[in-house]
Amino acid sequence: MDRNRREIVGYSPSPLPERVIYGFVLFLSSQFTLILSLVWAFIPESWLNSLGLTYWPQKYRAVALPVYLLITIVIGYVLLFGLNLMSTSPLNSIYTITDNYAKNQQQKKYQEDASSTLRDIPTSEVNQMFFFAAKELYVKTKLYED
Amino acid sequence: MEDERSFSDICGGRLALQRRYYSPSCREFCLSCPRLSLRSLTAVTCTVWLAAYGLFTLCENSMILSAAIFITLLGLLGYLHFVKIDQETLLIIDSLGIQMTSSYASGKESTTFIEMGKVKDVVINEAIYMQKVIYYLCILLKDPMEPHGISQVVPVFQSAKPRLDCLIEVYRSCQEILAHQKATSASP
Repeated sequence: MDRNRREIVGYSPSPLPERVIYGFVLFLSSQFTLILSLVWAFIPESWLNSLGLTYWPQKYRAVALPVYLLITIVIGYVLLFGLNLMSTSPLNSIYTITDNYAKNQQQKKYQEDASSTLRDIPTSEVNQMFFFAAKELYVKTKLYED
Repeated sequence: MEDERSFSDICGGRLALQRRYYSPSCREFCLSCPRLSLRSLTAVTCTVWLAAYGLFTLCENSMILSAAIFITLLGLLGYLHFVKIDQETLLIIDSLGIQMTSSYASGKESTTFIEMGKVKDVVINEAIYMQKVIYYLCILLKDPMEPHGISQVVPVFQSAKPRLDCLIEVYRSCQEILAHQKATSASP
């Protein structure tokens, strides 16, 4: 029954009865956690003990955990930048020229009156076209830049 | 036949390209990098000595000052001998191969030779370098296993890093020689 409906509806983000229930449960639990953590952080130890609730984490955590979270976010910025720098290929790497997809691409047959298919052209041919053959074109664009 | 022109590198410094045309099958390109400027040398020396003086006022130990002088001297000598490249040369000989020479500021020279049988092509490639995208000239080496494959990429003029106009000049001359070489090797 469920799979039938999924096949009809598809994987769309529209509201469904199950999603309504999930959302409401999430909303209630997040509000409860917020109120509970505020109560734990602000109300003195003695009042909570007099109510009978004695087994709490240290109040130090109420300050420490938000600080941990903020520092993690700041380090995340630095880490992301560092990861980007590390994953950039060096200048002498083969991956600046080609990769597995370009090596294993299939050649499609030439069809009359059809636009050419998209494929990876080897660097040598591209270089010949840009820098060797089209000298006048480059000189003209250089003049326009100046 | 000798020819000299001035270009600029990717940071804006001046480069001088000297082209020597020995014969239709042998050419040499010599790129001279900008020299070590007095301004940067005094700036580095002043910062190191000021930092040492600051440490001295904290510790009251005069060894720090003499250590700073030694560090500056040794650092300068090491930089000139291992890091600062004065001139980079690319020599192409048709039937023999390609030779790259880097001469350092202290006089040291380091040479790399690639024989023509291994060279597939000389191309201008674009890649990401730090925060920029730069053009650089590189030699593609053949793969012994695959006829149309590339086994290695050897960038040239790595410390001079000229801009595209200089690279196009070198590229054109190299392609003329490589075409000449392919024609002569294919004929018999």
